[in-house]
Amino acid sequence: MMVEDAGPLLEIVGVTKHFGAVTACDHVSLEVVPGEVRGLLGQNGAGKTTLMNVVAGVVVADEGEVRVAGTAVPPGDPVAAALAGVGIVHQHFSLIPPLTVWENVTLGERGRMNSRRAVRTVEEIGERYGLSIDPHARVAQLTPGERQRVEVIKCLSKDPRVVILDEPTSVLTQAESRRLFEVLRALVHEEGRAVVLISHRLEEILEATDRVTVMRDGQVITTIPTASATASLLANEMLGREVSLSSEGAAVGAAVDAGHAAASDAIPTPRADGRVAVVEIEGAVVLGADGRRLLDGFDLEVRRGEILGVAGVEGNGQQALVELMSGLAELAAGSVCVDGEEISKSRRARLRRVGVIPADRHESGCVLAMSVMENLVLGCLEHAANYGVLSPRRMADRAATLLDQYDVKAANVQAPMWSLSGGNQQRVVLARELSRSPSVLVAAQPTRGLDVGAMEDMWQRLRTVAAQGTAVLLISTELDEIMALADRVAVIQKGRLVGTMARDEVDTERLALLMGGRAA
Amino acid sequence: MSIEAPERVDAPPATDRLATARGARLATSDLLLYAVLIAASLGVALGLAAALLTATGHDAGAAFSEMWDGSFGSRSAFFTTLNHTAPILVVAIGACVAGRAGLINIGFEGQFLIGGLAAVAIATKVGGSSFVVLPLMFVAAIIGGALWAGIAAVLRYTRGISEVLSTLLLNFLAFQFVTWMLDRQYLLQGPIYPGAPKSDLRVESAMIPTKAQMPFLSEGSDYILQYAVLFAVVIALVAAFAIARTRWGFELRLTGLNPRAARRFGVSAALVGGTALIISGGLAGFAGAAFLSGIAYRVTPGFASNYGWEGLLAGFVADFRPMLAIPVALLYGAVRAGGGLLTATGVSTNLVGVIQALIVIAVTLPALYMRRRARRRELQTVERA
Repeated sequence: MMVEDAGPLLEIVGVTKHFGAVTACDHVSLEVVPGEVRGLLGQNGAGKTTLMNVVAGVVVADEGEVRVAGTAVPPGDPVAAALAGVGIVHQHFSLIPPLTVWENVTLGERGRMNSRRAVRTVEEIGERYGLSIDPHARVAQLTPGERQRVEVIKCLSKDPRVVILDEPTSVLTQAESRRLFEVLRALVHEEGRAVVLISHRLEEILEATDRVTVMRDGQVITTIPTASATASLLANEMLGREVSLSSEGAAVGAAVDAGHAAASDAIPTPRADGRVAVVEIEGAVVLGADGRRLLDGFDLEVRRGEILGVAGVEGNGQQALVELMSGLAELAAGSVCVDGEEISKSRRARLRRVGVIPADRHESGCVLAMSVMENLVLGCLEHAANYGVLSPRRMADRAATLLDQYDVKAANVQAPMWSLSGGNQQRVVLARELSRSPSVLVAAQPTRGLDVGAMEDMWQRLRTVAAQGTAVLLISTELDEIMALADRVAVIQKGRLVGTMARDEVDTERLALLMGGRAA
Repeated sequence: MSIEAPERVDAPPATDRLATARGARLATSDLLLYAVLIAASLGVALGLAAALLTATGHDAGAAFSEMWDGSFGSRSAFFTTLNHTAPILVVAIGACVAGRAGLINIGFEGQFLIGGLAAVAIATKVGGSSFVVLPLMFVAAIIGGALWAGIAAVLRYTRGISEVLSTLLLNFLAFQFVTWMLDRQYLLQGPIYPGAPKSDLRVESAMIPTKAQMPFLSEGSDYILQYAVLFAVVIALVAAFAIARTRWGFELRLTGLNPRAARRFGVSAALVGGTALIISGGLAGFAGAAFLSGIAYRVTPGFASNYGWEGLLAGFVADFRPMLAIPVALLYGAVRAGGGLLTATGVSTNLVGVIQALIVIAVTLPALYMRRRARRRELQTVERA
């Protein structure tokens, strides 16, 4: 029961936003009418979150305008946006764990704090929408689902006309998600508000929305009534039909180009079938700090000389998988073997056999305050030390060789790591990890934040590494990247492996369905 | 008090990683600015001191010249400065070792005191020649200080208790423990002079015998130079080399700069950090033994007399670099020596204390500013990338 003739409640007119060379939103226009749940669907980086941050006044658009109920909202002013009636439930929790529920709900309000009124507000909203929660409970003691409920209550307590939810179900169980969608329906159908639900899960878009807008590369591709949409139609719109698998496959085959031919000639390319499994993960369970199962019985096999791409929506256990391979996460159950050796028990075996390019290289991949040459000996100090005394000459020689080999542009080998560009930092990480000749290279989001040139270079190097016989475990939320590189594609969803397929069997539709949590 | 699970100590959540990267250094290009700031800050402090002196009826110019005469004005004054510098420098090197691992040990005062207590126990209870007693005193003091800091290390790496808190509280414990030991005749309480009646007993140890007194490195009619000065400089040189050029130092710095990366590359934060804390405590204990055998000759509850705190500050002001700690400790030593002479010329002890404190603060403030600046820049680097 959309109220079409009432005029749009939220109007986005020609919003454009650039971040450096990246265009996050490209003349996006969108209208949401009262009484509607609008789905906003798109891959990571399609511009959904940026668009909603513009609406909420968190990000100032380069061009364009946002209107609520016909009145323009001053740009870049979150308070004005909230007063105009925009409420946001953010993807990442913005609650303060040591405080109680009612204290969190009143945060950001002005004037004298009235605890009794705040408690009553929480109870009233809880009753009206079936979001029952103890107002005096400490947020730290709540489950992720309950915290989400508090976020929603906090948003509704400001009586917004437009409610924006950014990936609200990423931490919820299915039952909790369903409960949330019932609340959303009550909000729009009974109270005439509007809801924008941002997601890249097809299933929930189909279940919870009235109309769905698909974004890709910062542009609105289409808006259709959800009733006339199917999962496969949305998947194709989301990914773009022009993803041409055959041409990408050719690129993989042609990976060993002239530039790297010398190295790969010496080693026969083990690209035949029946390759040996290098990595065998069986029933791996990794628990988060809050006891959630980040990996929940995860199985995986990566073979010699192949690139295995792990696709999946962000937050489905990819980080736990990388941390497990890096020795940063404890294995609660299961086993992780590389070359038949259990690496979760042997620090030495892990360092010798596993190379890792972490998703956030600043976190565990490099030390910004150390020099380039020091960064290049991390994990292999024996290359630079005699009887425990470091040899600066040997470190410098080694660094000079590696910088040359990997085309790293640095002022000199003693330049601090932070003085390098992102692409060059990433090449330093790659150079160091490969210099140890690992059996498997784990590459997590290896091109995130890199420009196109650096990205191409990284892809080329990964192909070369695989061609030389190393097993490559590529973990990426960018399907384009998986498609361009992987020999086999595995899909991770809620900490489990939900499907594996060879590259020539991959169809984007099935992949998107698996990622969205629909068996296919 | 809530107690974190042990594994959280060396694996902070990603968002906290900058807050934990306490081992970060200032960029070399910042050192000039740092020197200028310290000079300006010292100028302001001296101005305030002059105003105070004038307001209390003293001649500020004369007082400053006394302080100069007492610290650098003559060979005898300079050697006094050096003798005061030695314990500060040894403690400062301990602060450097801990600081480079990203740990803030603020328990030097207690570790120094425990070191002195261990040394006086050996000196008064163990027989033998100087060649036996003196080395034993130093070994006992190192072990004492190391064990005292070791308590904090164990608490941190098994129970996740911040070393800042535990080392601070252990200072009070050390004070109480030493007071108790010095208040029992069957323990370490000693007479003021041999054969003194019971009514003349105080809370202090006996004077250490001559064989336990360190000979002087150099001695003249109006000056002495302590061996401790030589020890301190050697310790600083060894520490500088070890931190910059050994595998141990590399892993120490790695742990301080990026604990997550350290763990990933197989470096155990508990092993490296625990060792760093223990070494820093051992050095403070060593300084306590040197102070006992060279200058104090007996232990009282107030034995540490702020050497621990000034050593910590010197290490901090020196950006936890052993070579920079040498001039900083020298400045602090000079403030002590100059203040000593100023007191001797009739300015009240309290006023001298205030002036000394002003100078110490003047040197510390720029250090705080520079570290905030470095932190901010690192944050920006991460955000930009």
